[in-house]
Amino acid sequence: MRKSLFPVFALLVVVSMVLVACGGGAAPAPTTAPAAPAFRVGLVTDVGKIDDKSFNQTAWEGVQQAQKELGVTEIKYIETTDSKDYGKNIAQFGDAGYDVIVTVGFNLTEDTWTAAKKYPKVKFIGVDQFLSKDDKHAEWPLANLVGVVFDEDKAGYLAGALAASVSKSGTIGSVLGTDAVPPVWRYGEGYRAGAKSINPNINVLVTYHNDVGFDKTFTDPEWGKTTGLSMIDKGADVLFGAGGKTGNGALLAAAEKGVYCIGVDTDQYYTVPEAQKAMISSAMKLETPSVFAMIKSAKDGTWKGGLYTGPTGLAPFHDLDSKVPADVKAKLQTIDKGLKDGSVKTNVPPVKPQ
Amino acid sequence: MPEPSPTLSRRILGAARSALNALAVPALAVFTALVVGAIIMKVVGGDPLLAYLGLWQGAFGSVKALSETCVWASPYIFAGLAVALAFKGGLFNIGAEGQLQVGAVTAAWIGYALPDVLHTSLPAVIHLPLAILGGSLAGAIWGGIPGWLKARTGAHEVINTIMMNYIAVLMAGYLLNGPMRNPDPLNLSARTPSIALSARVPRIFANPDLRVHWGVVLALVIAVAIWWLLYKTTIGFEIRTVGTNPDAAKYAGISVTRAIVLSMALSGLLAGLAGTIEVVGLNYRHELGFSTGYGFDAITVALLGKTNPFGVVLAAFLLGAMRNGATRMQFLTQVPTDIVSVIQALILLFVAADAIVRFIFRLRAPKEKMVLTRGWS
Repeated sequence: MRKSLFPVFALLVVVSMVLVACGGGAAPAPTTAPAAPAFRVGLVTDVGKIDDKSFNQTAWEGVQQAQKELGVTEIKYIETTDSKDYGKNIAQFGDAGYDVIVTVGFNLTEDTWTAAKKYPKVKFIGVDQFLSKDDKHAEWPLANLVGVVFDEDKAGYLAGALAASVSKSGTIGSVLGTDAVPPVWRYGEGYRAGAKSINPNINVLVTYHNDVGFDKTFTDPEWGKTTGLSMIDKGADVLFGAGGKTGNGALLAAAEKGVYCIGVDTDQYYTVPEAQKAMISSAMKLETPSVFAMIKSAKDGTWKGGLYTGPTGLAPFHDLDSKVPADVKAKLQTIDKGLKDGSVKTNVPPVKPQ
Repeated sequence: MPEPSPTLSRRILGAARSALNALAVPALAVFTALVVGAIIMKVVGGDPLLAYLGLWQGAFGSVKALSETCVWASPYIFAGLAVALAFKGGLFNIGAEGQLQVGAVTAAWIGYALPDVLHTSLPAVIHLPLAILGGSLAGAIWGGIPGWLKARTGAHEVINTIMMNYIAVLMAGYLLNGPMRNPDPLNLSARTPSIALSARVPRIFANPDLRVHWGVVLALVIAVAIWWLLYKTTIGFEIRTVGTNPDAAKYAGISVTRAIVLSMALSGLLAGLAGTIEVVGLNYRHELGFSTGYGFDAITVALLGKTNPFGVVLAAFLLGAMRNGATRMQFLTQVPTDIVSVIQALILLFVAADAIVRFIFRLRAPKEKMVLTRGWS
């Protein structure tokens, strides 16, 4: 028995020595605070990865920018693997006394609200999280919580202007989720208004997926594709898809028929690679500058709790850059500037008038 | 004073030795996996020692951490028992994930919608047991179908449970996005409304930071019950006999059909309980993003626990601790939490191919091999 155990023991010793040697390089714990007053920012993702080419990533890029430009001493992220861990992951930063915690995505709205009440000294940035005063949120607005929201009508307006500018047939289309969801309605009507601003006579086909159960409306790529195809049959040569998987269906229809398409929310060139060759741009919510601006305000003391309306804009043209004439690019930039300084108005009401 | 009989002390010694022997391979497999994991971390530029320190702190470093480890362990215990029980019956239930989903969907529906349907509020003594019963029965049906197909037609349970997984997961996705979605216009997420207070398993402590609930205790009780069922009852004997040798079982007058359907239904019931407890004990609602694949991790749990109910409990706590500690690990080192999945996969590899571990650590091969499933015959 003794004989047979010896090699085991020897191996254990060797392996543990190797382990110690491996870890030896980083002996001083990196958590020790530096001399300068520390300003630490933590980010908690929605279920998914930090490099998801979507909201998690763009929000994190805002944090990284803050580290480079604002002298934030420490930035860290935690990737959520299970929705039951939202609160626990936020608490990891809260208990460590971080100055700012960024939480990404509307799924974390409630957990961020709860954490903001629990850690009143920590400033919370809830990306894409709309809250208002109601029964469950009587204390709104909290001094330490900002919900970052976006003017979808402005993003839609830019998409409409682009679509009208590159359309040759004089007919463009948009396939959306239900207009009962205000952001969707704002995308659609902004798109219509933007297109008309370029060409008042343009034929804009806008179809909302209204006649189904409440959220089949966002998960119906088949319907999105069929609707997109029928718009192309009617002469549409640019399609704007806005409404989760339903909108993505329209992007695929455009790619199949070789007409242009415009994605939504993030740069969908990366999230719907099947439609890359047809994707001329995307109407984006710009998380990166929004998160950066909020961290900046937390650092320089101009912070104010409540809602913050982040900027919107168009994604790069990617493969189709050469198909967009220089004067159109210039025009779009003028419109974008006008939307930001208020000289260009979309005239879209925040919710669909009853 | 009589001397203790030599046979008794020998028996105790023998039992201790065999228990130690049984623990040796899983423990060494975990150890080897951690070492290989450390090497991988080092190669990708992480700090393995700090990472493991974080893993430890996150899993056991505080009362809150311990509580969260218990929270993570409870679905693993139920689901691990599910897979282990099927293994005892000679069946490979890869369908725990699907059974867990239908359990969670059913429990959530009973939790939030049933009072409205009945136009009355239910007292907790009725509502909560109803939700737990409903969720576990749904799992039992979901597991029983492949069992029945296997017993009646010989259709292999591996294929059918995998197919049932797709049906369950996609159906849950549809329900959560559609009919069962919280209709509050401010709700943008694919989740159900909160379940009624009367359908919630109480938490053990009043402190809201400690989320550990009585479901964990229930898991331990069920583990004992499953051990009793398997080793102390006729049904358990039949299941194990059919699992080891169905032909011999048939000769002995055991109904093989009944044993197979029963094993799968019981297995599904346990997996359904895993999903149910997550809903009624922890989240108080069902939502997309609810499971990181407990049903698949359960296979690791069952194999690491050598399909013994008590081994399963130990393995479930180990995996739960790793999943829970991963957050702290990432917080300290920014090492991706995926490393935990890598380590888990390595554990599975070393447990399944135990010859590797036996070779590395010069362990003698066991006299009899554990037969898990009967293959494709």
